[in-house]
Formats: sequence, C-alpha cells, structure tokens
Amino acid sequence: MNAGANGPAGDLAARQAALVAALVDGAPDPPGFAADRLAATREALLRKRSGQAATAWPLLAAGLGPDWARFACSVLAGRPVAGALRDGWDVALAARAAGRLTEGARRELADRERVLRYDGVRPPHRRPIARLRGLLRR
Amino acid sequence: MAAGADRPRLVAARTVGASPVAGLGVGWRPEIAGVVAGVTGLGFCEVIAESLDLRHPGRPPAGPSRGVTDLRERGIPVIPHGVRLGLGDAGGVDPGRVAHLAACARALDAPLVSEHVAFVQAGGREAGHLLPVPRTREALDVLVSGVRRTQAELEVPLALEPIAALFDWPEDEYAEGDFLTELLDRTGALLLLDVANVYANARNRGQDPSAVLDRMPLDRVAYVHVAGGAVHPDDPLGLYHDTHLDPVPPAVLALLEEVRERGAAPAVMLERDGRHPPAAELHGELTAIAAAAWLEPVR
Repeated sequence: MNAGANGPAGDLAARQAALVAALVDGAPDPPGFAADRLAATREALLRKRSGQAATAWPLLAAGLGPDWARFACSVLAGRPVAGALRDGWDVALAARAAGRLTEGARRELADRERVLRYDGVRPPHRRPIARLRGLLRR
Repeated sequence: MAAGADRPRLVAARTVGASPVAGLGVGWRPEIAGVVAGVTGLGFCEVIAESLDLRHPGRPPAGPSRGVTDLRERGIPVIPHGVRLGLGDAGGVDPGRVAHLAACARALDAPLVSEHVAFVQAGGREAGHLLPVPRTREALDVLVSGVRRTQAELEVPLALEPIAALFDWPEDEYAEGDFLTELLDRTGALLLLDVANVYANARNRGQDPSAVLDRMPLDRVAYVHVAGGAVHPDDPLGLYHDTHLDPVPPAVLALLEEVRERGAAPAVMLERDGRHPPAAELHGELTAIAAAAWLEPVR
C-alpha cells in the first residue's frame, strides 16, 4: 500500500506500532488522532494497570489507601506494559524511595525479594536458592 | 463501497436457536468462584482463556483451572474467551496463542470460543489492552486472515466481539456495523454482541445506540455480553468507561431489551472483572439481566 504524502493510508503495522508507543511508551501521538481521546485512553490504561498491580500487591495498595491510583499511575506512566507483578514492584520501589511504605507493604516487598530478584531492568526472576528449594519440595 | 450488495443471508430467517449456547450466564473469575458455585440454573459460563493453565493435562489443575473443571463437572458449558490473540495485529496472530485457545476449547469440550475485534501488540510492544483497528479495507484483510488462521485450528465456531474504544482512527472508511458485517460474511464467524460496548461507543461518539444496533449483523449473534461502567470523575471529557468494575447501568439493560425485542439475545451473560460485589448484589444483577432478556432467572 502507499503511505505517501497524502496522509496515513497504508502500512497498518507502522501505524499500530506508533499508536501503541504513544499509548504506553511516552512517544508522541501519531498524526490524525484526537489528542484528548488518546489522553483519555492512556489514563484508562494506567488505571487498569494500577488496578491489576493492586491485586498483585494488596498490602502495598492498602498502605497507600485512597492515594493508590494517583501514586501508582504516576509511577507507571510512560513505562512499557510489564505485567502486574513488575508494575507493582516499580510502585513499591518508588513508595520506598518516597518513604511511604507501611509496615505491611514493607513485609510484602521483603517477601517478594526473598524469592525473586528484580533489578528494575530485567523482569523479576526466581533467585537460585528459591528455585532449589522449590525443586526439593516437589 | 457497496455495503450490503452481496448479503442475501440477511433476508433469511433470524438464526436465533442456532446459537451453540442458551440461557443466562456469567463470566467466571476466581474471585467469584464461591458465588458461582452456589448459583443454580446457569446456562453457561465464560472463562478467560489466558487464565487457564493447560501445561499438565494429566494432572488435576491448580488455581483458577480447578474451579473451571468444577463447572464442567456440573454440566455447565464453558466458553473460552480470548483477550490476547490480537486478531487485528498487523503482524499476524501469534501461533502459540492460537494453539492455546484451541487447546482450551478441546480441554473444556467447549461449544464455541470467542475473541475480540482488536489488536493487542505492535512493534514488539504489548498494549496491555484491547485496541481498536482502523475500519479500513486493509485492516479488514488483516482481521480476515487472523480469523481464518484461528478457525483453521478450532473444531468449534468462533464468535467475534466488537470492543469499546475511547477513540477512532482518522482513516476509518466503514461504519462499525458495516465493517463487522463484512468481517462475518467473509469468515463465517458468529457475533458476540457486547451491549455495554455498543452503549459506550455510541454515547462517546454522540450516536444513538439503537441506530447503531440497526446496522449490526444481529442475525449472527451467538451470545451477548452485559457489563457495568461509569463516567470517571477525573476524566475531563466526561466519557463513559466500560470498566467491568461498576454496576450495570439502566441504559445498558434497556439496550439489552432492544436486542431481545429484535430476537437477538439467545444467551446473555454478565461480565464483572473486579471490585466484586457481595453475592446478593451479583444475584440481583443476574436477575435484572434475565428480566430484560426474557430468560429463566437463576436461583
């Protein structure tokens, strides 16, 4: 198809990629879309991700209480979609840095860190010792 | 384009009764497993395909799959509902995800499976959400090929669900109903009509939902979704969000009645994905849906 100078026709793959990058990766909006509607979609996506992260990190979410959605959305904005475990982990690290971890949230994070290693770059993965314990328990 | 020029089947009798499911249903989720276990008279359930773990077919399943097995043991038909296939992904559907959906259908002895008219990843990134495809000839070709690729691995019918979206593509060439009709005509797929999505899109586009229904291929409805939503307090545009976290608004139930009046609600189910209400409230929503759709209520 011809993506020429006449506008956005053709090359669906590139158009979809530009849209996803704009919605979840902080890239600029692709031309032709209503900016306010993309902004609303971005917000809805963040709320959905923060809700899923709250399910995976109940004590962390409870600790932040009514401020959870605002705090979690601000942490997740512009970060690629990575699943509830990692999303919540990023929120937990931000909350720790801001001195906002409650006792329950601190325990939740410590429990996760005992089993999983997460460096903020690669997805969380099981620590060798935890993997060994899991094998022995089988 | 010459919409509807080659659609002789529209003059044929409504195909209600030909649907592979009937009655009142509910989207099974682990959080409401206890409630669903106590409900009698369910015609069917739907389960998120991606939540099913089929890695050890010989062993009794752990986690969510255990509750789903219980449904089958009660004789309740279960429909695997995919949310990550990406039938509209320009890069093509992921073969592993197609295989998983087909395996779910076999494992559950499902009467049909369903997926969305949407794309979910592009450029190597997951959207984490169902995103609308542009309603263009090019996107239609992508969808047709994704649907056919999926149907080739399925032994049961595939129903397609049009999604709720907060934006449209600037290059849209078709109205939603016409786009959908052509997609179903070219693939033979059935329609999973989500009345909450129809309501949300019509309201957010400033359209009349009844007029939108008029152009939908209602003679192809396999079953109907009903879900709650709300206007989010922080949304400056005042858009209606199809959240699946809020009660079903009266306007959505009214639209369900319209669908039933048109003979297109053979099987209807409630979708609730979070902030689960107490059992009595969930029962109340099922009762209201049964009343609107003229279905036998559950107990």
